[in-house]
Amino acid sequence: MCFRLCLTLCFDAMVNKLLRQFIFVTMMLFSAGHAWADLVIVTSEATGISTLSKEDVINIYLGRYRRLPNALPALPIDMAESSEIKKKFYWRLVGKTLAEINSYWSRLIFSGQTQPPAVLNSSEDAIMRIHRVPGTIGYIERGNHSKLDKRLVVVFELGE
Amino acid sequence: MISPKVITHWWQGILAPSIAGVLVVALFVGGVSSYFIRQSLSDREQKQAIRRLTEALETVQSTASIAAFTHDAQLASEVVEGLMRTSDILMVKIETDGKILAQDMRSLKAPSANARLTSDMGIAVHQSSLSKPLVSPFNKTETIGHIILQPDWLMIESRVRQNVQQTLWLLLAEMVAVLLSVAAVMLFFVLRPIKEISDRLHHAAPETGAQIDIPEGHEKTEIGRLVGDVNSITNRLVMLLAHEREIQKQREIAQKKYQNLFDHATSGIFVADKTGRLDSFNPAFSELVWHAYVSQDKDPNLFDAAWQAPEKIKSLFVLALRQETAGRVSTDDFLLRGRRGDERWLSISLASLGDGSLQGTVTDVTARKQEEIQARRLAGMDALTGLANRQGLMEVLSRRTVGDVKKRPFAVLMINLDGFGQINESMGLPVGDDVLKVVADRIRAFIQGDDYSARIGGDEFVLVLEDKFACDAFDHQLRDFFVVLQQPYRMAVPDAVRVISIQASAGVAFYAADSSQGVDAHELLRHAELALMTARSAGGHTYRFFEPQLLVAAEHRRRIEDDLKQALEDGSLYLGFQPIVDLTSGTVVGAESLIRWVHPTRGMVSPDIFIPLAEEVGLISEIGLLVLEKACQVVSQWRAKAQPLYVSINVSALQIPNALPPATIISALARHGLPPDALAIEITEGVLMGNVSVAQTWMTQLGEAGLRVYLDDFGTGYSSLSYLKRFPLNAVKIDKSFIHDLAEDSNDKALVNAIVTMAKSLSLDVIAEGVESAEHLSILREMGCRFGQGFLFSPAVQAHLFEETVKDIEQRLAAMPVPW
Repeated sequence: MCFRLCLTLCFDAMVNKLLRQFIFVTMMLFSAGHAWADLVIVTSEATGISTLSKEDVINIYLGRYRRLPNALPALPIDMAESSEIKKKFYWRLVGKTLAEINSYWSRLIFSGQTQPPAVLNSSEDAIMRIHRVPGTIGYIERGNHSKLDKRLVVVFELGE
Repeated sequence: MISPKVITHWWQGILAPSIAGVLVVALFVGGVSSYFIRQSLSDREQKQAIRRLTEALETVQSTASIAAFTHDAQLASEVVEGLMRTSDILMVKIETDGKILAQDMRSLKAPSANARLTSDMGIAVHQSSLSKPLVSPFNKTETIGHIILQPDWLMIESRVRQNVQQTLWLLLAEMVAVLLSVAAVMLFFVLRPIKEISDRLHHAAPETGAQIDIPEGHEKTEIGRLVGDVNSITNRLVMLLAHEREIQKQREIAQKKYQNLFDHATSGIFVADKTGRLDSFNPAFSELVWHAYVSQDKDPNLFDAAWQAPEKIKSLFVLALRQETAGRVSTDDFLLRGRRGDERWLSISLASLGDGSLQGTVTDVTARKQEEIQARRLAGMDALTGLANRQGLMEVLSRRTVGDVKKRPFAVLMINLDGFGQINESMGLPVGDDVLKVVADRIRAFIQGDDYSARIGGDEFVLVLEDKFACDAFDHQLRDFFVVLQQPYRMAVPDAVRVISIQASAGVAFYAADSSQGVDAHELLRHAELALMTARSAGGHTYRFFEPQLLVAAEHRRRIEDDLKQALEDGSLYLGFQPIVDLTSGTVVGAESLIRWVHPTRGMVSPDIFIPLAEEVGLISEIGLLVLEKACQVVSQWRAKAQPLYVSINVSALQIPNALPPATIISALARHGLPPDALAIEITEGVLMGNVSVAQTWMTQLGEAGLRVYLDDFGTGYSSLSYLKRFPLNAVKIDKSFIHDLAEDSNDKALVNAIVTMAKSLSLDVIAEGVESAEHLSILREMGCRFGQGFLFSPAVQAHLFEETVKDIEQRLAAMPVPW
């Protein structure tokens, strides 16, 4: 059992490394082709907070705390698995790939009480949920946000 | 064959101690090793457990981190449960933010498990639990909690104990196996073969050389070699025994041989200790030492025999014992006196046996001893007279002068017969021998008791007077004896009885027992001889006593002898010349050469002293040659000056014939170119009294060669007129004693007159010696004496003064108022 565990971990580490390199390369290609937009963490004004620290964001999105600094329950919203923005978000937030994030969650989901953030298919859906339920926070691209909705409060900017 | 001692109990054998030894070593090694095994096992097990648990902790660390990160108690519980499945773990706890997220604990079997654990293990146990920090999955630097694990030490310890137990059991099993195999190996490879060999040895008979078989399978092992060695030793032993038996046999034979020798030897053989006690002796011995003396008691002693001097045998014993180490044999002869007065000489040889006892052989040497005594008696005896000879005398004198025994004083009388040589010559040796026998008889008649007499030379006798000396009137007796000795001897010669008168001289020396210590036999004889010489030089037929001055005089003479020898070499002897004058013409016709010696310290030494000395010590021959040579030299000088003088030289009896042979004189004349009438020879009557024929021949040869021969000192000796007839003489020289009193003594005058007359009738020249006064001269001239010499004319002068002296004499004579 021990041996197998060790092997798995080793394998995980290898895969992780390769994957990270691969992503890095594709991102470099991508950014060379397109103009890069910042990711921002937004919430509604009704939530009542104007800013969050990076630790706050990590704690909320990775299931550590379920409350905002103002004691309001925190409701993070995640994007669809295949979306480019999700990948970008986690990479920039904790430096991990989606596979790693999924592995993390899978352990929690499998035997624990903690649940991952709710998944919505699009940024529009996310924004709608943010507006509808106070305490909801989500991540969107800045460009979209400034064009679409002025009511959203940017609580954290996730730069490069 | 098997002695009960040989059987030993099993615990006394090799097996038990070896097994016990192996057991002790094994127990010790086992104990020590079990301790270390236990130590190392528990240590290892502990480390292993910690490593295992740490690994397990690390395995679940990431999951636990996630659980802690999300405060997910369920996930944490899962992790804890998973860990608790490991039996080594007692408790697992996950903490986060100071709160316990999940915890599980195994129920303990005993409440004080940890305490017991500590005492059981005997080692320091990690009471502390293992703890790992939990970090945030997204930030490695942020610690969000801990996972704490408490190992179940009791469980680990019980596993350790189990392992130790197993190992020890294994060790024990090994030991038992080793012990058993050692025992088996000992039994089969050592003990059984040894037992076999031992049994065979017990039943073997080594003296017969029986060989022991090598146990099967041990042909090449040490056991086999041992058996081989035993066999070879047995062989050697058998050989040695055989050899020993052979030697023993030979020894017995030798013993038997020696026993026979011992029993049947003609020599006596004995073994005695140092006190003379006889251990064993053979029949010959008891017979030789006259059995009865030796074996009359149970403890026979050699010294008990009838020895004349047992103490001498004892000293031989001491000597032999002292020579023990030298291994030498000491031998001596001893006299045994029998009961009936018979004697037996036994020679005893002793050899020390080294243990304080002595082995001796005894032989009868009576015959040899008697011969020896006889021979010794003969050796010390003069065959002619039956008196002792010189050797016998010396023995007696030595015995009486040497040694510690108190001596009696005695006198030594040395007698010499004067003119005995003439008797031998004129009457023959048998008569001489008869005379000697008579002398011996007279001596024998004189001596008494322990007195002793010997003949030590032709006519020399020595008397050792001891008892005689003790008499009161020794001097009278001596004088009487001397008178008796010189009484005429009546000798029977063929057809007649001749009466011979013999004079004797004697010297007497005394040995005073107390004051003459250190005077030995030779010195005593020398004293007597010196006294004799004094008597003889006093004219003979008398005796003289020795006086210490004689020794001084003798010493004096000896020195003069030495000096004389020296003088011959350095030329301090020279010739003086006394002119001989023709009394009728008043001219010098020649000279008598007289030898002179100026001693470096004593001054002038008279020829009367040194010539007899020279004769005694044999220097006369050389002196004679010196005189001849010098005389010839001087005459040849005179003749060279046309002075027809001659020189006369004195020749003593001892020089005739060999010391100065006629040929030497003639050749000396020839060498100097002198006619024979240049030299005249003066001889004394003593020459004529010696060996007549020899003297006659000598003189005849000279006369025939033309030399003149004068008879010197005429009138003092026998002056036998027959000499003048028998010998070829040319002149007689009248002794100066007659001339001295010529004027006063009418007898002398008559005598001289007779001599002159007689000489004339025999046509001999006459030379008067000692002419000292004009009166002498005139009387001699009246008598018709032709020649003279003396102080009236001149004493002897040295050669270089002679010519002057001659002139002086002739002038003085010419001036004398006598008709020439």
